[in-house]
Amino acid sequence: MKIIVPIKQILDPQGLTFRRDKERMFVNVEEYIIGPASKAAIEAALRLKGEDDQVLALSVGPPRADDALREALALGCDAAYLLTDDAFQEPNISATVRILAAAIEKLGGANLVITGHQSGDTAAGQVGPRLAEALGYAQVTDVCALQAADGELQATRRWDDGFVALRALLPAVVTVAPEAFPPRYAPGARIMNAYREWEVTIWGMDDLGLTEGDLTPRLAFRGESFPPPLEVGEEFRGDPETVAQEVVTALRLQKLIG
Amino acid sequence: MDFSFPKEYQLFRRMVREFCESEVRPLAKIIDREHRVPFETIKKAAELGLMGVPFPQKYGGMGGGEIGYCILMEELGRVCTSTTTVIGAHTGIGAMAIYLDGTEEQKQKYLVPLAQGKAIAAFGLTEPQAGSDAAAIQTTAVRDGNEFVINGTKVFITNGDIADIITVMAVTDPALGAYGGITAFIVETDTPGFSIGSLENKMGIRGSSTAECVFQDVRVPKESILGQFGAGFLTFMKTLDIGRASLGAGCLGGCRAALEASIRWAKAREQFGVPIATKQAIHFTIADMAAEIEALYSLVYRTAWLIDTGQPHIQEAAACKLIGSETAHRCIDRALQIHGALGYSRDHWIELGWRDQRISEIYEGTNEIQRLVIAAHLFRPHGLRIPA
Repeated sequence: MKIIVPIKQILDPQGLTFRRDKERMFVNVEEYIIGPASKAAIEAALRLKGEDDQVLALSVGPPRADDALREALALGCDAAYLLTDDAFQEPNISATVRILAAAIEKLGGANLVITGHQSGDTAAGQVGPRLAEALGYAQVTDVCALQAADGELQATRRWDDGFVALRALLPAVVTVAPEAFPPRYAPGARIMNAYREWEVTIWGMDDLGLTEGDLTPRLAFRGESFPPPLEVGEEFRGDPETVAQEVVTALRLQKLIG
Repeated sequence: MDFSFPKEYQLFRRMVREFCESEVRPLAKIIDREHRVPFETIKKAAELGLMGVPFPQKYGGMGGGEIGYCILMEELGRVCTSTTTVIGAHTGIGAMAIYLDGTEEQKQKYLVPLAQGKAIAAFGLTEPQAGSDAAAIQTTAVRDGNEFVINGTKVFITNGDIADIITVMAVTDPALGAYGGITAFIVETDTPGFSIGSLENKMGIRGSSTAECVFQDVRVPKESILGQFGAGFLTFMKTLDIGRASLGAGCLGGCRAALEASIRWAKAREQFGVPIATKQAIHFTIADMAAEIEALYSLVYRTAWLIDTGQPHIQEAAACKLIGSETAHRCIDRALQIHGALGYSRDHWIELGWRDQRISEIYEGTNEIQRLVIAAHLFRPHGLRIPA
């Protein structure tokens, strides 16, 4: 089975501070990591990987995304492809999907494509479903458990306060949530080899047979703003017994408990 | 001049930090209380190659060299000194002696499982009458045909009671003294005649075992000789020279933990209506810590680079151990002072860090010995070198 994992490199949120009063984000430490959802996608793929299976990592991004792909190799991926070109500089989802689809087709297609449900920065959640449409594959999103064999996929998907079990024919695109597949640690020797021994293949516009027209955005970026402040709930103070009583009464009034 | 770490080391440090934060830090107090580093933790470390970081991959190691190994020691030192000591004694001196002077057969037989963490190593030098004066050992190895018979007692041996393999220094010709009369041996601890005497009840690093190792007519084949016959003293000193750099790295991690905790606490603790972080006395203390840590950081990794590039490093490695342990002493003590009575409480890790730190001024050559090593280099002809 050939599993392809498109991943996204993001700014490490641990190096950021947010000032709501100034509506600004400050970059204190500029470090880039594999986004948590992408890392979960790698983990999901590696858990499925049997002896004869191949896991290939792809990333659309600037040259520094090379580091994310080398980390993917260190984690256990068999090969990595950096899709980069000066013309890709302005990132937009429709172009990203077009580039990924071209790369997957160039690789001869996949049995399974696993990607993050939502990226850690823009969190649009569009790449997976759009990629499935572009490739003509089945799609299952927000998956928390996954098995694949004999041309068929069995997945568990979160649904309101429960789960649904789904089956789909391969090839398929699956998106996963970060918490569903906690990532492994990359073994030290693979980390060394990822930089010293192994290569990341670089493909640009020409390699992928793309033209400027393919990259035309279908969405316009009009700005960004902070979400409205979360409504803070009711606060109860006092000794534990009184507080417990008040909480129960409040929940009853809201008809949340009987 | 490029002082940046190659990217593989940056990624390695990130992995090690995540491992330490998730797998080691939550256990640090339990390790101290229960006097052992859990086998499961060692197993997890071994799966990631952390039991053989400096050794080449062809010997089962990670291929990280001394720089990679110092990164591991620094990150471990930041969260748990007992775990640092167990892995440090295993890798940095126990297995290191075999890597430096073992034959190809010995490396395949012993270094490979040690580097993979499938076996644990210890380093047997200290005796009741011989510590700083390492050449004064009384353990003997007497030839009997194709075998040697070892008799004697080693004390304060880190990992002694959990080790599968122990490298031992023994007198083979009392007339020849340190250079010619002492030979190093590799001893498998299931060899008849090897036994564990008492275990030390220590002030700190209580999660690492410190054992008395008794050799009573322990017979080993002549293939167990490590390095040249009669050159065991050199093998052991060479091993310690390298071990001292990584010991400094462990201290560096302890210093970082002390600084991080001090800043966090100074911001949180309010006195006289303001956080104590606004007080100049705290600023001066924290600035001194940070400045000394920066100096130690440069020294440790420059020394690791000297080792990895095969350059002379004995004086610098001694400085790593000396400056590292004394900086750690000052940093953890200042951190305790900033934390006030809270830092003196058994419930706070600062108290554990303070107890754990003290050994670093003693083991692997006391700081007095480090000063002698440095001075001996300076008093040689052309010993005082001004950088070109």
